[in-house]
Amino acid sequence: MFGFRLSAERPPEAHRVTDVVVSRFEHIYEIDPALMTEHVHQQNIPNWEFNRIVENRWEHLAWMHAHFADTKLSGEELLAEIEAER
Amino acid sequence: MATIALLDGVVDELTAICGPDHVFTGRSAVFNRARVPAPFPAHHWEDHIPSAVVLPTSAEQVSEVVKLANRHGIPVVPRAGATGLTDGAVPLRHGIVVDIKLMNEILELDHENRTVTVGPGINMLKLNEELRKHGYIYPDDPASYPCSLVGGRIGTSGWSLIGGRYGHTRDLVISFEIVLPTGEIIRVGDGGGAKVRKSSSGYQLKHLFMGHQGTLGIVTEATLELVNRPEAEFSIFFSYDNYMDAWQATGDLARSGVATLAGVVLFDEEKVRYLRRDDEAYIPQPDSVKAVIACAAYGNADEVRVGAKRLLRMAKASGGAYMGDEIAQGDWASRHDRYATPQHGRTRDGQVALMSWHCEDASIPYPELPAVREKWHAIADSLRERFDMFDDWGMFAYTNGAFKPWGDYLAEVDIGIWEMNWDDQSWAAWVDAKRDLARVSIEHGGSISACHGSCRAGEVDLVPTELGGGYEVMKTIKRSLDPNNVMNPGKYLLDQAYEEA
Repeated sequence: MFGFRLSAERPPEAHRVTDVVVSRFEHIYEIDPALMTEHVHQQNIPNWEFNRIVENRWEHLAWMHAHFADTKLSGEELLAEIEAER
Repeated sequence: MATIALLDGVVDELTAICGPDHVFTGRSAVFNRARVPAPFPAHHWEDHIPSAVVLPTSAEQVSEVVKLANRHGIPVVPRAGATGLTDGAVPLRHGIVVDIKLMNEILELDHENRTVTVGPGINMLKLNEELRKHGYIYPDDPASYPCSLVGGRIGTSGWSLIGGRYGHTRDLVISFEIVLPTGEIIRVGDGGGAKVRKSSSGYQLKHLFMGHQGTLGIVTEATLELVNRPEAEFSIFFSYDNYMDAWQATGDLARSGVATLAGVVLFDEEKVRYLRRDDEAYIPQPDSVKAVIACAAYGNADEVRVGAKRLLRMAKASGGAYMGDEIAQGDWASRHDRYATPQHGRTRDGQVALMSWHCEDASIPYPELPAVREKWHAIADSLRERFDMFDDWGMFAYTNGAFKPWGDYLAEVDIGIWEMNWDDQSWAAWVDAKRDLARVSIEHGGSISACHGSCRAGEVDLVPTELGGGYEVMKTIKRSLDPNNVMNPGKYLLDQAYEEA
């Protein structure tokens, strides 16, 4: 069977994060829809589209790191080493 | 259509030179080559439409096109990636656009001399995909990295995000071939050898033809510096609760002497406020975060590691709070985003409006950054108060020196502009503001532009003030090399060179 049930792919209700930002999924932020009523209108998109955008974003960032260097050093790990050396 | 019609037979001559598939006069070809991402008077689009577009494939073809232009007195405008943030590639008098995108081949890879010779139409990202196979990188890394081209980088004397470690375009281009405004083909570098890094022979002509915004010729080949592809990348983001502490720490980090340090960036309060609107890294930050510093380092893994620890100790000691690996690494990897993502600003009542990003840049001495920041924001605020189509997106300052990141900084105030709303009144206000921004830079001992060029309306009025007697030399050179004023005429007020002759 092709396709999906829209009701199952409908994003959950948003909760407010700041006075201009809401969120529907953990670590994924969205401009408050109330700010997109006059000049730009928000589009409804299914869950899979949310996920695709987020996954593509991470894929792009990983690609950019690998494009410029073989490895990336972790500031958190180095800070822990600095603490241990004190 | 308001283009100036070419003389009878000129298109036929262009076709004979470049071939029938490489000459265009159709609407999409010419309309799309009228503007660049710099603020553009979209309400007067037709004033900038070229009459014809050619895509040559050799220096000889470029030379013949330029000679034809001289014979007929037709303006010629060089165009590479068209990603410039001044208007070097915008035709001011219609004419022929010479688009060099098809000259995009790697011509020679020289392992012994560590050089690569390329056509000017090659893009750095695509070049580096090839160089990676050999363990090299060409480390010219502008925000436009995925889309700008080597020829345009030379035409603007570009600036690199990792220039503090590897140098900027002028340091990374060893020599290049250029078609002069009269059609002669010459090669310029440091002395005569195409692969010589340092010479004391004769005038240093490479720098004369670096950053001329298309007014002195068209680059047709370039020999570039190669360095080892970095083993390691290190990026950190630290937050501060006030701008002045962050400014002090920025200066200290830049003067740290860490050899692998590629750059230090300072985001001011307005920039952080802007990013809190829609940047996933900044939305969850506590209100106490008022300014942010970013550092990046590249090189051999063991060397980067040692330098990174020094930078971390310094940032911690200055009162900064590490923002975590996810932000540090993710935000650094997204440093080219501004050329790839749609921008949205806010009207005065907070509504989202589609605005384009316009970063107004300058070279500012480190001690002057706080004062310049205040004056620049006042100019942006004044625009926004009068016209509900401008939005202050904050300011950053980025180490500007090549190989040793201290001294002056690339300072930028980012302004969102709702370009669909341009009219003559708002455009005039913008041009005035641009002139005011440039005046502040000069008054504080800086330069109008660190990386974009300074030939746009408004700022260009102050170029003679900035350069003083040097501007008179510019006019003499222009008149001497381009006696018919065909090469990108109107830019940098250089028509004056001919009016005074």
